[in-house]
Amino acid sequence: MTKAGNWQSYERVLLPPVENLHHLDVYRAHGGYETLKRVLKELEPQEVTAQMKRSGLRGRGGAGFPTGLKWSFMPPVKPDVPRYLCCNADESEPGTFKDRQLMEYNPHLLFEGILIACYAMSLNACYLYVRGEYASWITHLEEELAKMYNANLAGKNMLGTGHCMDIVLHKGAGAYICGEETSLMESLEGKRAYPRIKPPFPAQSGIWGYPTTINNVETLACAPLILGKGADWFAGIGAEKNPGPLLYGISGHVNRPGVYEYPTGMLITDLLEIAGGMRGSKKLKALVPGGASVPVLRADMIEGVTMDVESLREAGSMLGTAGMLFLDEDTDMVAFLRRVAHFYHHESCGQCTPCREGTGWMENLITRIDDGEGNLRDLDLLLDLCDQMEGRTVCALADAAAWPVRNTIKRFREDFERRCRPAVWAVNA
Amino acid sequence: MPQVIIDGKSYEFEGRPSLLQFCLDHGIELPHFCYHPSMSVPANCRQCLVDIGAPVRDRQTGEIQVNEQGEPVIQYFPKLQTSCSHIVSDGQVVHTARSSGKVKDAQRDTLEFLLINHPLDCPICDQAGHCPLQIQAYKYGPEGSRFEFRKVHKPKKVKLGPRVVLDAERCINCTRCVRFTDEISKSGQLTIIERGVKNYPITPPGVSFDEPYSMNVIDLCPVGALTSVDFRFQARIWEMASTPSITTTNAKGSNCHLWVRDNLVLRITPRANPDVNEFWLPDEDRLAYRRFNEDRPAGPSITAETGAASSSWDASLQRAAEILQRAGENAVFIASAYATVEDNWMLMQLADAVGGQVAGYIPHIDPGHGDGWLCTDDRTPNRQGCERLGIYPIDGTLWRARIESGEVTALYVLEDDPVASGLCSVESLADTEVILHYHHTTNQTLPAACVALPAAMVAETIGTFVNESGRAQRVIPAKAIKGTNRTLMMQMGLSRADRHGTPFDRWHNESHYIDCKPSWEMIPMITRALGTEINPQGPRKIMQHISETNPAFAGATHDAMGLTGIDLCLKESFQPAHLEGTH
Repeated sequence: MTKAGNWQSYERVLLPPVENLHHLDVYRAHGGYETLKRVLKELEPQEVTAQMKRSGLRGRGGAGFPTGLKWSFMPPVKPDVPRYLCCNADESEPGTFKDRQLMEYNPHLLFEGILIACYAMSLNACYLYVRGEYASWITHLEEELAKMYNANLAGKNMLGTGHCMDIVLHKGAGAYICGEETSLMESLEGKRAYPRIKPPFPAQSGIWGYPTTINNVETLACAPLILGKGADWFAGIGAEKNPGPLLYGISGHVNRPGVYEYPTGMLITDLLEIAGGMRGSKKLKALVPGGASVPVLRADMIEGVTMDVESLREAGSMLGTAGMLFLDEDTDMVAFLRRVAHFYHHESCGQCTPCREGTGWMENLITRIDDGEGNLRDLDLLLDLCDQMEGRTVCALADAAAWPVRNTIKRFREDFERRCRPAVWAVNA
Repeated sequence: MPQVIIDGKSYEFEGRPSLLQFCLDHGIELPHFCYHPSMSVPANCRQCLVDIGAPVRDRQTGEIQVNEQGEPVIQYFPKLQTSCSHIVSDGQVVHTARSSGKVKDAQRDTLEFLLINHPLDCPICDQAGHCPLQIQAYKYGPEGSRFEFRKVHKPKKVKLGPRVVLDAERCINCTRCVRFTDEISKSGQLTIIERGVKNYPITPPGVSFDEPYSMNVIDLCPVGALTSVDFRFQARIWEMASTPSITTTNAKGSNCHLWVRDNLVLRITPRANPDVNEFWLPDEDRLAYRRFNEDRPAGPSITAETGAASSSWDASLQRAAEILQRAGENAVFIASAYATVEDNWMLMQLADAVGGQVAGYIPHIDPGHGDGWLCTDDRTPNRQGCERLGIYPIDGTLWRARIESGEVTALYVLEDDPVASGLCSVESLADTEVILHYHHTTNQTLPAACVALPAAMVAETIGTFVNESGRAQRVIPAKAIKGTNRTLMMQMGLSRADRHGTPFDRWHNESHYIDCKPSWEMIPMITRALGTEINPQGPRKIMQHISETNPAFAGATHDAMGLTGIDLCLKESFQPAHLEGTH
């Protein structure tokens, strides 16, 4: 019995197997928006937040911060001070593609979650910031949103309750940094997406300087489930300290890559089996468990490791977004790291010196090693650069760029050393 | 009073100062690039990192926990903090690079990063010598570089606007310039484009960086990325001497530095004075440097029947005395809002000695030129100084009629141009003997002048100006004149920023000496020829005398004014009622 419990008989709730669930009428026919109606009628806002806290839900955007606690950080309502919810759908971490499935197959669960969150935090506007590359999902969300307004599920006097809640769709323009919450707010305000210094945190000063809460798509989609089926039901799913259903985005050298919904705390080995095992029956070499920025795990490190915050931390990595990248024995770790370093170099916003300059330098060094022209000392320089970047910037992009470099070199050092020119040359007798 | 411990020494503080500013105010140097006291704090250069800790307090009692030695337990932030964005609070412990190896390493690492893509073209860079990046790289940076790749290339010599040139490769992306246009001048004419290591500031498409304060970004730039079209490649910083002074293009009296090499003023940069211009200077004030070098006269001249001829100082001043003696009470004196308080006071003494009349000063108002900030409608620097002396705007209609009628037989003009300002024409002065103190050969009254006396400008003299809000400010000479004037020479030696060296080591190029004299030197020479001695003499003693005898100048001695000036009493307390509203 794993932390995930009896996962073989798990029934999907985030992405239930219902045809055309993305249409408003189908969603309503399957009990959609009933939870919202009941919440608006029966519960006080504080009770909603309390339920969220009790459910133990931790944010699904990568940082894993307890959602109920985050909601409770919002300051008391002041009549003249607007406050906002922002849904972060700027999903762009390499290896992460779960929110997209929600927006495609179950967008109304997200909308319902947004409206519940609006009610819980007594606010009446939510910005839904979707990455620009998700063009077709944006069109789709716009259509469904229009239907909601027609059905009076959002907007003024929604559902005849006297509440006014608006959802505003905002398209990103294709920058990874906009997924960082403060940078997302800058971008939303029409400014250059440079992350802000924290404190002040968004709950004190967010969009336009007003109190703001930012949640991930999957996090908000969990809200109707928690309020509908009960916090205890939710807390009973998966790992005790990190419960709930979780979308595992599995990619890499597996037979059936894709997004799988299972409880948290699944054994990595079980998930590999679910994804059809390694392609061509090759052996597993490495696993990136939560999106490109989290430390890579060697195949010998995943035995008994489950997909939840605690277990992965013990194993030396992080849950991140649960976007799992399986790499087989033929993988060139230098080439892999070169691609990852290229991504962070390309996406660094350039605000802070260590990240702006360091990401490019790292890519240069790794490229040189990959091209067979590297020196052994380059590996030590790379580790030095990781030290020089980590924790010295406004946002965590420098950390995200440094972790994979540090850990890939640390855990696959032989692969790198083999590609470097020797430090000492053989002397011919 | 709350205390903060920095490098083991405790300091008291008030309010909520930022740690960086607090350190700078207390002489603790912290390297930084993006921070500027008058703009928002982006904390993007990451150069001012320090280690900050706070005493651990008991959650229940709120008391500070102590260890076995009885010392408070300090809990440090897990990461180094940027001191610019950190607000000091009571009991905090701060370690700078002087007491923490971790901080020292961090500062060195950031400089290493800043330098990898910097072109390191210091030998041809205008900023070299006073470049914060250069200085801090020497003080806190690494030895050599571990970077072995091609540097990132970006656009060079991009003309952002009529006065500013960008070299994007030198840029370290501190965003000071962008923040200046966003927050201070509010023109929004600059922005950062591209992303990551390719970032650089530029104007939006179709926009020229032509706002009237554009050149401030040149001083703000901590590297040589933004340079002046005029000054680019003109001089190395160590070849020039900078003298604190004030600008005279308008009535604001913004504080500035005059940068002089070989007796030529090469550029004007702002001098911080929170009571006048803070850190800023409008472009028109900076471009006024040309006026000190161009169209300057070559000595005094006398118009004889054969036409204008250059003359000696003695002969010219003697001639002026003769003219004044002849005219007696028909001599009319025009004061000047361009001249110093001392010069105008001297003119009043001269008028008394001759028995003539001071008609007033010629106002130079350019309606709509003022912007409510550092430009004013009034284009003269010392209008209020004149009025505090009791000299008022000239009654144009009255005096035009008197001059045309030939009633005025001698007109003595102090540092102004009555023809260009429309008071009278050259023809109408045919029967009047004109004595003219002038700055430039472009002065349109020159053809009518019997005696033309080149006067020293603000860069060459000592004197006092009173700006539009009643602030008296003193100037000291930045460049030498041809004649020998011990007062000026002494003051030049003192005006050097470093207070060392000899007064002779910066004006060795004799070809750029201007043959002029300060008006406060010329006028006593004329009265001496008339047989009267004015007392006191010399600007310092004159100001001492004025401050003691004229309540509108109470306290305004040279010593009290220092280099930043003092506020005089309110204008209402001395201005006659009938002149209310002339401003």
